[in-house]
Amino acid sequence: MLIAAVGGVVIVALGLGEHWISPWNPSNNMESVILWDIRWPRILTAFAVGGLLALAGAWFQVLLGNPLAEPYVLGVAGSAAVGAVSGMMLFPDSVWVTSMGAFIGAWVGIAAVLAFSHLGPTRLLLAGVVLAALWGAVLMLLMAMLPERGLMLAYAWMMGDLSHSSLPIWLLLLVWLGALCCGLVLSQSLDKLLLGERHAEALGVDVSSLRKKLLLLASAVTAVAVTAAGTIGFIGLVVPHLMRLLFGSLHKVVLLASAFGGGLLLIIADTAARTVISPAELPVGVLTAVIGVPVFLWLLLRRR
Amino acid sequence: MLAIKNLSLKRANKLLFSSFEMQAEAGQIVVVLGPNGAGKSTLLLALFAMLEPASGEVLLENKDVQDYSRHDLSRLITWQGDLPPTEFGLTVEQRLLLANDGNDIKEALLYMDLGKLQHRVLGELSSGERQRVEIAATMVRDNPIWLMDEPTAHLDMRHQVDCLQLMKQEAKEGRLIFTVLHDLQQAAAVADVVVLLDGKGGVEVAEAEVMLTAARLEPVFGVTLKGHGRELMPVYNGEIE
Repeated sequence: MLIAAVGGVVIVALGLGEHWISPWNPSNNMESVILWDIRWPRILTAFAVGGLLALAGAWFQVLLGNPLAEPYVLGVAGSAAVGAVSGMMLFPDSVWVTSMGAFIGAWVGIAAVLAFSHLGPTRLLLAGVVLAALWGAVLMLLMAMLPERGLMLAYAWMMGDLSHSSLPIWLLLLVWLGALCCGLVLSQSLDKLLLGERHAEALGVDVSSLRKKLLLLASAVTAVAVTAAGTIGFIGLVVPHLMRLLFGSLHKVVLLASAFGGGLLLIIADTAARTVISPAELPVGVLTAVIGVPVFLWLLLRRR
Repeated sequence: MLAIKNLSLKRANKLLFSSFEMQAEAGQIVVVLGPNGAGKSTLLLALFAMLEPASGEVLLENKDVQDYSRHDLSRLITWQGDLPPTEFGLTVEQRLLLANDGNDIKEALLYMDLGKLQHRVLGELSSGERQRVEIAATMVRDNPIWLMDEPTAHLDMRHQVDCLQLMKQEAKEGRLIFTVLHDLQQAAAVADVVVLLDGKGGVEVAEAEVMLTAARLEPVFGVTLKGHGRELMPVYNGEIE
């Protein structure tokens, strides 16, 4: 069902834009270039990034035992932003350097968090939140030093931008597939972790090793997503909950549905971002919230 | 089956008890008694290597439990402890399927009176109903050793009786059950052996008949007890004005 939904949305998203172009028969060469060289890669990027964020969100929620957790909660987005903005300061005109900076920054953030991985969920969360505050402060300092044009670029990056991903699309899709497979392999242990760490251990899960794997996996996936598209909020928090509300809490289903559902939501949000005020574009992060919040609240209310 | 050798346990650097020795065999019910904070739950955790003893060891079939893998230990010992968190919306059935290791869950659902609640989400149940789910989860795991931390907590009287009856029956069929209880009559109804933690570092083990007497228990709990054997109980009327 989700695959069919993704297929349908992809076709509509291909067609929609400043001008409607039928995906079946572009009327001239120009249209075909727009379709397959501009819109198609962007849609695939949105799909992979959305899926990765949703998977990372689902993992962080179970790892930290906290429904409010999301991919950026431990400061990985903050450190990535510091990296990206540093890149912008040094080489203002290179998208590639910005992405590289984000990737390196994300891993610095991950390394900082991993140092606290032995702490229990609550203290790990606290350590992450404090680190995030530190990255936020550094980021503000850097932004204060940026020239005006750089500031616009930095803001655009932080609100998420799928139009100039410097990661190859095949790599993003490969990471998406790999992450989903890792998640599915761990899914039974993750289910047991929903009962709390002691119950999980009593049921035969080596919790400390699972926590390390999960922290690394979720952080790495977040780093890739942030590198590709900047920080796009909300998907990682809401999609896993949406999928739990729709399909129940077992991870086999939650992860599979999140990987597709996150991609689906981000394609919709990005298509809306580039069409509603076209030819100008809205930041996609704004659209994910505008679309995601009402859907989520509606499902929450319908539950009772 | 289970041998405890010279065991000392600490919690947050405070010594709970020391030099505890005992031997437990299949088919026995061992009741752990003691005041709050004496280390009853901590003792259960030590029995399945959830914490490292300050000294001594717990031998399961002559091998230190610390040397078992988590996976192997989970096939030998079942732990019934705190009620699991409910944030993520597992249903009763899903919770049991996480514990069952391939066994059928119908009988446990029926015994614990959970048939109607099978597809409900844990967060929508009362504490007593959730406790029944935990007892059922213990049943479906089919391990030779059960560690039960206050199994009758939250339960109404009918289900307390069912729970104690289940323990008695399962012990008869060869399981070794360690359980923490607070109610003396419940303890007397099921116990073969009693472990008494006095909360001041001391630990005693004896047959239930020897241990469950006013003379032994009054100084440890600081209450007045009346009656004998299965009728032993605190004199609430005398102490509460």
